[in-house]
Amino acid sequence: MVTWRGNVSRRDALKFLGAAGGGLALGKWFAAPGGPAHAQERPDAKSIEAFTGPGPNPHWNSVGPYVSEPQKAPLILLTDRPVQLETPRNYFRTAFTPNDAFYVRWHLSEIPNNIDLAAWKLKMEGNVNKPLALSLSDLTTKFKPFSIAAVNQCSGNSRSRLQPRVPGGQWGNGAMGNAMWTGVRLRDLLDAAGVKDGSLQVQFQGLETGAGPSGLGSSAFLKSLEVSNSALDEAVVAYSMNGEPLPMLNGFPVRLVVPGYFATYWMKSLTWIRVLTAADENFWMKTAYRIPDTPRGNTTPEEIKAGSVKTVPIARMPVRSFLISPNGGTKVPAGFSITLRGIAFSGYGRIAKVETSDDSGKNWSAAVLGEDHGPYSFRTWEAAWTPRTPGKYTVAVRATDEKGNVQPDEPVWNPGGYLWNRVEKEEIVVGKAS
Amino acid sequence: MRKKLSVLLLAAGLMLVAAGSVAFAQFRSGSYGSAKATGIEQLFPAPVTSDSNFSVGAYPSFPPELAEGEGRAETQSFCLMCHSTRYITMQPPLPAAVWEAEINKMIKTYGAPIPEASAKKITSYLQTHYTPETRKE
Repeated sequence: MVTWRGNVSRRDALKFLGAAGGGLALGKWFAAPGGPAHAQERPDAKSIEAFTGPGPNPHWNSVGPYVSEPQKAPLILLTDRPVQLETPRNYFRTAFTPNDAFYVRWHLSEIPNNIDLAAWKLKMEGNVNKPLALSLSDLTTKFKPFSIAAVNQCSGNSRSRLQPRVPGGQWGNGAMGNAMWTGVRLRDLLDAAGVKDGSLQVQFQGLETGAGPSGLGSSAFLKSLEVSNSALDEAVVAYSMNGEPLPMLNGFPVRLVVPGYFATYWMKSLTWIRVLTAADENFWMKTAYRIPDTPRGNTTPEEIKAGSVKTVPIARMPVRSFLISPNGGTKVPAGFSITLRGIAFSGYGRIAKVETSDDSGKNWSAAVLGEDHGPYSFRTWEAAWTPRTPGKYTVAVRATDEKGNVQPDEPVWNPGGYLWNRVEKEEIVVGKAS
Repeated sequence: MRKKLSVLLLAAGLMLVAAGSVAFAQFRSGSYGSAKATGIEQLFPAPVTSDSNFSVGAYPSFPPELAEGEGRAETQSFCLMCHSTRYITMQPPLPAAVWEAEINKMIKTYGAPIPEASAKKITSYLQTHYTPETRKE
């Protein structure tokens, strides 16, 4: 009796049979369509890829190692100082992303390890009638709590898809998460302080600083929104995330929540709310986080070189949807009824429709939407799928929001690597079941 | 009787084929590839004090191995002033001109105090090891 050892391939097995087969027609048991060349062998998985490129990252997530950071499940490391961590794909099976799996993105290295709540105060200052300094217990007891489910997505989520590649955090798709945020409505705080006439913007600053010279983007992270922006009506100063205190790395004790907007405005460890009478000219508004003022924020390296691209600050998140399972790692037997599952969201309002395709987007059929947690939440979806014929299927998913925005099957390129929302595709292999 | 025998023979033959195929064909077991397991650091619980201090302790560092070569020391010492060198290894291979622009951005936009000679060495180091043509690890 031959005992097969570890790495004997099926081709070797065939060779053996060819030599010793003795007329037994065992070959047909092996005979997958296309013969031995069609063998199921996969190349040995690389231990950990250190990088992808210069082509697009072919994986759903980025390729860093898993690391453990305080209050966090093992997440995918992008950088350690400052901390940037990506959420693995499997955590998006549900509408709400667990706090310990929620992605992390800081810009500057001086981020809080320790906060003394006896000393910490949220300051309302600038062009207001009555400057305020509010403790965490002031926020939780003196104001009416308000809750909203909202997706927090990094402006550069999926940056590693761009061609040509651009420098920056090389996120896969996991720089996003959805949580039930509870806190005080920003308008209630602004009303309590009394916004004076002549106010133009509201500036947000948290406990995130860096080693750079003061006045430069490397010394402090600040973001601003127009006083008249309707996003401020929906914004919340959140002290609770999925019913728990915020993890330090996600902005304890409070962070700004701007439903529908990219996370760059969701100031972590928010400590100053400053009403301005002039436009904020700081680096993080004037230079960074800007997108071409074009459809989808799309441009080309040539146009950038020519200096002909007008930019505006990034704002709302375009509609996106994701296939979470199956994830392409498992071969499906023909005739097997499986369920395609995933999530969808849009910064422009409710998801109206999710469609799936098993022919790379030629034909689409509607998926069933899961529970509606509000216009800015992840919406789960599922679709029954029974592939009858063996072969390779390119499963695609696309979402449409209530404003009629549909995900296009076209790439985006801009130098910041922002706004990627192309239709997602996954190759699923279906094998003979008998 | 003959019919019964032939059925038996057929059954026996089929069983033989089945047994053979179980051993050789229907499945193959015990195949393992090689992969590196990385340790996951277990967390210490939060300190049990009921004061107003909320601490998570230090954030761990995971220094990457930078390619060996001229300019590595400068790259490490200047880049580390503001951020870890994971910012280099995380990037895809970038064209030489993009690395030059990155160093210029660090100096001009972010105010990194890198003397011109060192900036040149750092740029050349990154171009030598981290472009599509040169990056190996």
